[in-house]
Amino acid sequence: MAVTARSRRVKPAGGFELAAWYFMRISGLFLVFLALGHLCIMHLIHNVESINYNFVSDRWTNPQTGYIWRLWDLTMVNLAILHGFNGLRQILEEWINRAKSRVVLRTGIWIFAGALLLLGNYAILMFVKDADYLKNRRDASSDAVTVRADVDRGASSRHPAAVPAFDVLK
Amino acid sequence: MSVYRRGLVSRLVEGLRYGGGAGQWSWLLHRITGLGILLYLVVHIWDTFLVIFSPASYDAIMGFYGGKIHGVEYPLLRWAFRLGELGLFASVVFHAVNGLRVILFDLSPIRAVGAQKELFWAVVALFFFIMIPVTFIVIHALVAEPTPVAAAIVFPRNFVQAFVH
Amino acid sequence: MSMRTLTVRIKRYVPERDRSPRWEEFKVEADPHDRVLDVIQKVKWDQDETIGLRRSCAHGVCGSDAMRINGVNRLACKVLIKSLPSDVLTLEPILGLPVIKDLIVDMKPFFDHYKSVLPYLINDDPPPTTERLQSPEERARFDDTTRCILCACCTAACPPFWGDNKYVGPAAIVNAHRFIFDSRDRGAAERLDILNDTEGVWRCRTVFNCTNACPREIKVTQAIQEVKQALLTGEVDTHSVVNIHQET
Repeated sequence: MAVTARSRRVKPAGGFELAAWYFMRISGLFLVFLALGHLCIMHLIHNVESINYNFVSDRWTNPQTGYIWRLWDLTMVNLAILHGFNGLRQILEEWINRAKSRVVLRTGIWIFAGALLLLGNYAILMFVKDADYLKNRRDASSDAVTVRADVDRGASSRHPAAVPAFDVLK
Repeated sequence: MSVYRRGLVSRLVEGLRYGGGAGQWSWLLHRITGLGILLYLVVHIWDTFLVIFSPASYDAIMGFYGGKIHGVEYPLLRWAFRLGELGLFASVVFHAVNGLRVILFDLSPIRAVGAQKELFWAVVALFFFIMIPVTFIVIHALVAEPTPVAAAIVFPRNFVQAFVH
Repeated sequence: MSMRTLTVRIKRYVPERDRSPRWEEFKVEADPHDRVLDVIQKVKWDQDETIGLRRSCAHGVCGSDAMRINGVNRLACKVLIKSLPSDVLTLEPILGLPVIKDLIVDMKPFFDHYKSVLPYLINDDPPPTTERLQSPEERARFDDTTRCILCACCTAACPPFWGDNKYVGPAAIVNAHRFIFDSRDRGAAERLDILNDTEGVWRCRTVFNCTNACPREIKVTQAIQEVKQALLTGEVDTHSVVNIHQET
């Protein structure tokens, strides 16, 4: 008894919500590695209390690895902002139903997200190490050692490897 | 005839009173952690932007996150930020693991969807599997006296620090 | 089993009297083998005849007595008193739809969503001389979603629907599924297009409240996920992969 084919093909759908759905899944998968990796590096392998201008400038301008970290941060910041603000849009649209309010809402969200994208990309791409600032800071902190020896010894004993590690690589 | 339509607040409150199961709790947590991470992301982009705009302000902000104001340490502030750090870590871990659960439902409408309760417990288990050592490492940095167990974590970490930054 | 004295808390809304719903309490003797519907009728007949509720067949088929029983959407005629964990029984109208009176909600938005997915056979092919034939496997493909009784337990349990009652909702998607995956139907593309809208399947957040609420035990979330997959791949599989002889 021949009936019909086992499956039918219809045109795969397009449209904004479907694209947004795809984007959330794919960016989410990337962010699992990028964001969790970032957290592990900054909070477990290093320590947030050892992160300062010296750390970030070395990280981004290191001749061997600087480009890798900039590429990582760039991908992460762009995906995270779009993923986060699209999520916010979906939540708010669920509770704000009027068509006009939704237009206002979407416009506001994308303007804000766009501004943050600009800030994030600009900071990562255009960063140049401020050597003068670092020199002044080192001078100032060597003075500080004599003034507040107890505080600084406490800080350096907590993160003994934070600064010397970079000297090894350089 | 006048019907009763719920307002926004009433709908939110009544929704929370609904006796939903594991699915509703993970949906709610996914939203709350998502919004929390987004709030942090906005702050974090602003503070990181300072590296290019004003290195001194960047160092001041980073010091503040470490519980220091003008180089003076405030232990309560420091503890508050470390607990916040743990909250952030927990939010990202839950959002990531639960996000994978949601993706599984899309990839496998029959098997994964049929096993949704088991998958929920898998998310809970994986969350604690990751968060227990994370909590230990973050809190360890606050405790002055190193313990033998802590040393086992700290020694290889110092080695890895040389290569990953 | 002996009689139980139940405290029945009903969320009342009488439009002529109340500006917003309020709780009212009744004490009633109930047989453990009674159903929640029997208890409400007992209160209505003996204590307060103004209580408003919808009911018809009282046997879990017509789907008119959906209400929130102890926090979750159930049919009052399918919950036995002996299954209640405590002697307090709370009854509220289902969420997400305007309350007309007490436990009665306005079902019009719900049925509008149902109609919007074209829940009828679409086939403009010339009619065959005999029936439009279908294999048992093809029939089994959408068997689960044929069982819907349109009680609104699922749609009124859906958090995205609570916030956004323009969302088409699980019940309408279930009924679209019933025809999309029917080998005799030709309207799949049209229905999928409707469900691809902003207020279509993408509003689903896989909360599973719908699946847990369905009195017919339809795998609602699975049906919604299958529709999403058809939208993504453009493939509508009209042949069941499940061994139909295992189905009860």
